[in-house]
Amino acid sequence: MNRNTRVIVQGITGREGSFHTKLMLDYGTRIVAGVTPGKGGTYVHGVPVYDTVEDALREHEAEASIVFVPAQRAPDAVYEAVDAGIKLVVVVTEHIPIVDSARMIKYAKARGVRIVGPNSPGIIVPEETLIGIMPVRSFRKGRVGIASRSGTLTYEVAEAVKELGHSTVIGVGGDPIVGTPLDEAALMFENDPETEAIVIIGEIGGTSEERIAEYVLSGKIKKPVVAYIAGRTAPKERRMGHAGAVVYMGQGTFESKMNSFRRANVPVAETPYQVAELLRQLL
Amino acid sequence: MKLYEWEAKHLLASLGVRVPKGQLVKDKFEGKGRYVVKAQVLEGGRGKRGLVRATDDPQSAIDEMRKSGVDLFLVEEYVPHDREAYISALLDRETGEPMIAVSPVGGVDVESMAQVRTFVIPMERGVRGYDLIKIERHIGIKGVGDVVNALYKLVTEYDAELAEINPLAVTPEGPIALDAKVIIDDNALFRHQDLLSKFNRAYKPESYVDLGGDIGIISNGAGLTMATMDMVKLMGGEPADFFDVGGGADRARVKEALLRVASNPRVKRIVINIFGGITRCDEVARGIVEAIDVIKKPVFVRLSGVNEEEGRKILAEKGIEAYSRAIDAIGDALRS
Repeated sequence: MNRNTRVIVQGITGREGSFHTKLMLDYGTRIVAGVTPGKGGTYVHGVPVYDTVEDALREHEAEASIVFVPAQRAPDAVYEAVDAGIKLVVVVTEHIPIVDSARMIKYAKARGVRIVGPNSPGIIVPEETLIGIMPVRSFRKGRVGIASRSGTLTYEVAEAVKELGHSTVIGVGGDPIVGTPLDEAALMFENDPETEAIVIIGEIGGTSEERIAEYVLSGKIKKPVVAYIAGRTAPKERRMGHAGAVVYMGQGTFESKMNSFRRANVPVAETPYQVAELLRQLL
Repeated sequence: MKLYEWEAKHLLASLGVRVPKGQLVKDKFEGKGRYVVKAQVLEGGRGKRGLVRATDDPQSAIDEMRKSGVDLFLVEEYVPHDREAYISALLDRETGEPMIAVSPVGGVDVESMAQVRTFVIPMERGVRGYDLIKIERHIGIKGVGDVVNALYKLVTEYDAELAEINPLAVTPEGPIALDAKVIIDDNALFRHQDLLSKFNRAYKPESYVDLGGDIGIISNGAGLTMATMDMVKLMGGEPADFFDVGGGADRARVKEALLRVASNPRVKRIVINIFGGITRCDEVARGIVEAIDVIKKPVFVRLSGVNEEEGRKILAEKGIEAYSRAIDAIGDALRS
């Protein structure tokens, strides 16, 4: 992903879609078209709008799409992008039923399409492109890759490590089932020549953090890794804001993640601010 | 949305699972003999709190539980049984497919169960005979087909994020669900209006979680709110709540959040941790100023990000000095 990546915005005429289209354009993102059924022929911030993704791709070429469509119709938008041949779909939409997400992610995977999200703040490659809703002032081009299950907490940590700068920052999404889980994002950073160190911002629920610890133990990840895990004091079976931040059947507790990282010698910050300190010790 | 036990059992029974004969009771119960009286409350750990009782005098059990504020009871026939097992269904986060979890030993907290095994059953094919053989072999109970199919259906068709029977009792007539827990995906409730009306439930998902302490917490974004709560605890405080005002909260939302958190009588001080991205600090400040005279509790505000300067100025006019780092705001809240 770089400044040449061509992007379409699905749900571009909505409040969120239009607002963030402007911010992405200001950052330099190459937005070539927008899609909103029934709004074809109009323009949003100078971007031509089409009724369907297929219509848009008849006039423009695009590799990626970002989805702002409301939850009940967001899966439609994702299936449409996949069928039209888009290769990367970033789903910002929150509150998609989990069964629907599971089905659409499987559909995309089977067709070689990468989904980021749902409930994702997107991806930023500083000074190149932003496909997401991240506040750009928190980011600077540099050496640290950040993979996170969170939004604002990511910006907090990003600012704390701003002097080292960021290669790519990806918010994988706060839902229980996401297209690109945290562990897959971590592997992508391992293979990314721009990234020298990896910051993992995890939280309770699921087992992605545990898997990352395994990758470090087995040598599949060799770059320095620093982690932070939110939810140390969360009661079990209570959902902490994110649909994915919930512990069922004792899976993915704070202790389990903490112990896995400890076994793999991955330093875990006690506060978001401490991430910067731990990184400096490793680099 | 978590269902009450009686609702969960009603649903299971409609899908072909055997449940004990029972009756919903508010205060008076006429029956004589051995019964199980079960308080219909949503919190877990009822057994430890004396809210589930096998008794020959159900009316006394009801009267006693009513004293602790319970006003609805499920009174069931007592079911003698040989053994208790555990079975549940949920979506496996790794594969994105439904998964059946079973243990031959039930009745206790699943986290302390040693012999839990999981079986992933892809949606593409659904439950098949060989799944049942494997499951039955592991729990040593025959005839669990109806139970497995019902739980599976709860996940795939009723949007249950957890459907659990614990314990599943073994009787000569076959397995029977003695207790049930079903949690429906809040995001899918829009297509289960029939259930909501059948159970007469009006449900509004809430971003507020009670944590029992005395430091009120308001933040934006689930991760940051969790981090705030963790830092309070780490620095020796006890969080009273988790309240995520979400992205792009305006002054009304912030005011409402502050009023809600402050209305908890245990709350002595309130930490507000805002990192402005989509959320604007000036809007947050205005919401705080509008609520502060009503709540009369000290607030410790961290503001950072978009329109930070303006937000600080608005707070300063009200005599509130905003912090730049959450840690400093929390530190002062705990020291004061």
